[in-house]
Amino acid sequence: VLIREVKIILSRPLYLTSSVGAVMVSMFFFMTLMEGGVAEDMPVAVVDLDQTSISRRLIHEMQATPSVDVKIITNSFPEAREAMQQGKIYGIFIVPEGFYRDIASFKRPRMDFYITNAYTLGGNTAYKQMITVANLVSGAFQREVLRKKGMPDDVILKRIQPVKIEGHMLSNPWGNYTVYLVSTIMPGIIGLIALMLTIYSIGSELKNRTSRDWLKLAGENYTVAMIGKLIPYTIIYQALGIACHIILYNIADFPVQGSHTRLLLGLLLFIMAMEIMGIVIIGCIPILRDSLSVGALYAMLGFSLSGFTYPNMAMLPFIRALSYLEPLRHYYLIYVNDALLGAPPINSTPHALALAAFIIPALAVAPRLHHALIHQNYRLK
Amino acid sequence: MWRYLYLHWLRLKESGSIFANELYRIFHDPGVILIFFVATLVYPFLYKAMYWNEQITNIPVAVVDLSNSPESREFLHKWNAAPDITLAYSCASMEDAEELLRDQKVHGIIYFPRDYAKQLADPLGQAHISLYCDMSSFLYMKGIYLSCNMVMLESLRNIQIDRYQKIGYSEEFSWELVQASPYTETTLFSPTGGYGSFLIPAVLVMVLHQTLFFGICMLAGTVREERKELYRLPGRKRGYSAFRTIFGRGAAYFLIYYALAAILLGFLPRLFDLPHVGSIIDILSFNVPFILSVIFMSICVGFFIRNREAGFVLLISTSLVFLFIAGISWPKEMIPVGWRVASWFIPYTWAANGFIHINSMGATLWQTRVDYIALWVLTAGYFALAILMFLIAGYRQDRKESRRDDVLKADLLSESFGTVYQTGG
Repeated sequence: VLIREVKIILSRPLYLTSSVGAVMVSMFFFMTLMEGGVAEDMPVAVVDLDQTSISRRLIHEMQATPSVDVKIITNSFPEAREAMQQGKIYGIFIVPEGFYRDIASFKRPRMDFYITNAYTLGGNTAYKQMITVANLVSGAFQREVLRKKGMPDDVILKRIQPVKIEGHMLSNPWGNYTVYLVSTIMPGIIGLIALMLTIYSIGSELKNRTSRDWLKLAGENYTVAMIGKLIPYTIIYQALGIACHIILYNIADFPVQGSHTRLLLGLLLFIMAMEIMGIVIIGCIPILRDSLSVGALYAMLGFSLSGFTYPNMAMLPFIRALSYLEPLRHYYLIYVNDALLGAPPINSTPHALALAAFIIPALAVAPRLHHALIHQNYRLK
Repeated sequence: MWRYLYLHWLRLKESGSIFANELYRIFHDPGVILIFFVATLVYPFLYKAMYWNEQITNIPVAVVDLSNSPESREFLHKWNAAPDITLAYSCASMEDAEELLRDQKVHGIIYFPRDYAKQLADPLGQAHISLYCDMSSFLYMKGIYLSCNMVMLESLRNIQIDRYQKIGYSEEFSWELVQASPYTETTLFSPTGGYGSFLIPAVLVMVLHQTLFFGICMLAGTVREERKELYRLPGRKRGYSAFRTIFGRGAAYFLIYYALAAILLGFLPRLFDLPHVGSIIDILSFNVPFILSVIFMSICVGFFIRNREAGFVLLISTSLVFLFIAGISWPKEMIPVGWRVASWFIPYTWAANGFIHINSMGATLWQTRVDYIALWVLTAGYFALAILMFLIAGYRQDRKESRRDDVLKADLLSESFGTVYQTGG
């Protein structure tokens, strides 16, 4: 059975292109998409109604910060707002009229800024930077006044910032978006392809009416036939997984607090769970084309349900329950435990067991699929 | 003249028969129905359910307060009032808190060193607070950092004012010093600022884009498999018409998808209470080049697909690539030039951004004209490309078949001649 399967894989270019090719292309894509992985130079607009040396200095200061880039300097708010509606900028900073005059006469003029919510990451970056700049303005003013009063600079500094927060982003000190995204999305893509190709390879046997040959070769033993069929694929996916792992954690040096072995073991379990879900789907709907559609819909949901973008804890309870039906959710939790938190293995065990438990529905559909393989009694399309 | 017009009418009617034929194929293919109708109508609801809460509230945080002072308690009290977080555990040591973090019971730790209150009491001291953040999701970090920062800024001002008053400045003057220029921040376009309001509009466009793309490719693969010709008029053995075939098939897809797009992009944002400040007429006009460009792009790609299922397996991972290359989740300014240029050829890039501009940010069609025009350019480009590919393929097919026919004829001829010869003999 094994040899037959290897021959099938080699005879049709689809298998290797869709697995090795697609994974390599996506890997290259995601690794090169986000240069540095930290949002920098987000375009913003400054509406300068003051037009004095102070407002120009403020613009200059803002320009000098790494996270924003003052793209538009204007004196009309509608113009800035239109640029925002066209997706050109993520924030608008308004320096009010008479700003210089008012600040010099201690009148506390008010600055305004507007942030877009339609693009989360850009808007957030602009937001953080604008708050910082706004506080810097007050800080700079305070410094000037205290200097005039004859206070020494080091004392002024302590006066200006009596409390300081030291942030520690655990396991990802740079706040790198690539680390966070690729670590889950790449295994997800491998799993997606594993599921699709499992459906495809079993479904093709039904479609081409070759399933009886396959079973005969396995000595009419369903279990032997299935395992023999899936071994070569599992080896390919795990090899791809290891390749990605080496690129991510050894070459790109993404953090792993815990054990690499456990992470790879988790990946293997995840791949097998996805293959098993493939069997379950083709077992329920032994028609190749329909079950591929169902498989695609199921696997694509896994990316959102896994909770690596939008945390699971904020989802409705029944959606949270649904998410445990997606192997990617369990893999993600194993990844968080092992790579990010360095948690003891006991924390990952329930998820590993859950991945292993995916075998249960596969056992349930086994008689049905076995029957379909022998009798080929389903329509072709 | 009349004859000429009549001929054209006949040709148009052939387009009509292709249109009807394509509709028949769509509705008699459960796999395609599943993708075209079930997926497009179920996915939006699933995503709405997933992002129902919009905001992440009450992220659990552990407290390690070694200073154990009224000042630190006041800080914590203020922070706990923020909706983003909740102070779930109070730990005696960092080790305990780290263990909670490892067990995922908390997603952040706040740490006050022993000398926190002492530093604050010292008129020139600087007190430190450490904040540790679980990076398994960026939204944890955002919630914890931003809310803590807000509280920090507020206490910072209060402390400064206290200290200035102690050295004899008036309260008013202290405020003028500490916050010479206060500020107001306003977030635009989404009152809740939620994740769903941001992501679901992009997902709606993605669902339409990808289901149409996969569906057309599946149908193209099926035709190939059944050895019917894509570029031949039904019931004809010879001759082909690229224009009429593509026009007829395109019309069938357009009819279905224009309706679906009106539901997903016009009606669902209102039903789901997502931002919907755009004009519905602008959205409906914007949908025309969006749907058309996806149809023609898919017809072009479908051309290379020889087998229905294979195409699906190959193309499935494009969804994630399209989503990220469009610059929605990851800002487009940070995408390398090469990928950005590549993204211009994908209708999704323009469609998603344009739809967000109109629907979520209230731009008019004129204001988002760049996206609108780009979609028309893609429509024209992919249409021309599809025609070109069909013409070449149709021409080749005809040549091949006529050659085969010639051989066949020659065989027949020689056979009959042989018979004649034999009977003659």
